[in-house]
Amino acid sequence: MTNPLGTRLDATFKGVELRSGVDGRLAVVVPREAIVPVLTFLKEDGYDYLQLISCVDWIDRGEFELVYLLSFYTEDEVGRDGGKQEVLLKATVPREQASAPTATGVFAIAEPHEREIHELYGIHFEGHPRLTPLFLDRDYEIPPFRKDFDTKQYVADVFDRVPPIDEEG
Amino acid sequence: MDRNQLMKWIKAPTKMAHKYSLNAVYFCTGCGVIEVPPTITSRWDAERFGVVPTATARQANLFLITGYVSVKTLRAIIRTYEQMPEPKYTVGFGSCTINGGMYWDSYNTINQLDKYIPIDGYIAGCMPRPEAIFVAVTHLWTLIDKDMADGYKRYRKNYAAYRANQEMILGEMEWPPIFQTEVATAITEREG
Repeated sequence: MTNPLGTRLDATFKGVELRSGVDGRLAVVVPREAIVPVLTFLKEDGYDYLQLISCVDWIDRGEFELVYLLSFYTEDEVGRDGGKQEVLLKATVPREQASAPTATGVFAIAEPHEREIHELYGIHFEGHPRLTPLFLDRDYEIPPFRKDFDTKQYVADVFDRVPPIDEEG
Repeated sequence: MDRNQLMKWIKAPTKMAHKYSLNAVYFCTGCGVIEVPPTITSRWDAERFGVVPTATARQANLFLITGYVSVKTLRAIIRTYEQMPEPKYTVGFGSCTINGGMYWDSYNTINQLDKYIPIDGYIAGCMPRPEAIFVAVTHLWTLIDKDMADGYKRYRKNYAAYRANQEMILGEMEWPPIFQTEVATAITEREG
């Protein structure tokens, strides 16, 4: 627990697990309920740039992992901690009840990221202003980025079912 | 002008005019479109072959589909193709238009473009070089000479089948069929 930011996070929140990042990033694992408070804490601490929200489907563990990558526009503000690391915030969501609190209240840029994750993984974000489709034009029974979505079967059922044009007839 | 082609000009002037004024729709899909800007500008200069990009589909007669086609893009491609005046020629650029290429098992990319619109020729490769576009253009000249670039006629003739395939993937389409079956048959009988 040498990292000053890590120490303060540990003192402020319960159930926060710290992992030293392999590439100079600090990984913070939090429970699902603590996503928004920790994001707010980090934003006030100078991490004013949410670079991305990613999602991993750990189908064997039966859970999704949401990954928030936080960075900063101004280096000075983070410099007061003595460290200039980026922060990876990780939280797990059970597959059966896939929903998480929205981060749009803290970072407005979370809106399209969460819409994308909602569309491709089917995770519901509570309190999101508009969870409408972002890219896809079709409806899928299983959201296509989930590991149990069989793309080959889907292609065989949908695209390969279209017959070639019989030009001679 | 090539004097050897003088007889062709006298026999079939419209065909020769179509050959040497291919106006390509500047329609960008997939990664293949990265080859198009150097092709039409000074490095390779497609205007030597009479190929110029055109801003709107309503003034174009060459449709170069440059890469993978997602379901959303397919809708735009069909709309663009149907707006082009006849005679019109389509060229599929890159292996994705032939059989899906590296996106053959994608959840959102159609596999064979010629199930939805007629294709006069393909350029194989991933990616094809800009020179391949010129090979395709010269080949297309030969096809036009021999009346073999007849994709738009096949589209008219088999419109019902094409439309059925399009609706299989796109579901309800926003625009009505552009050809009634009887009208399409009548045009085909009159113009061949």
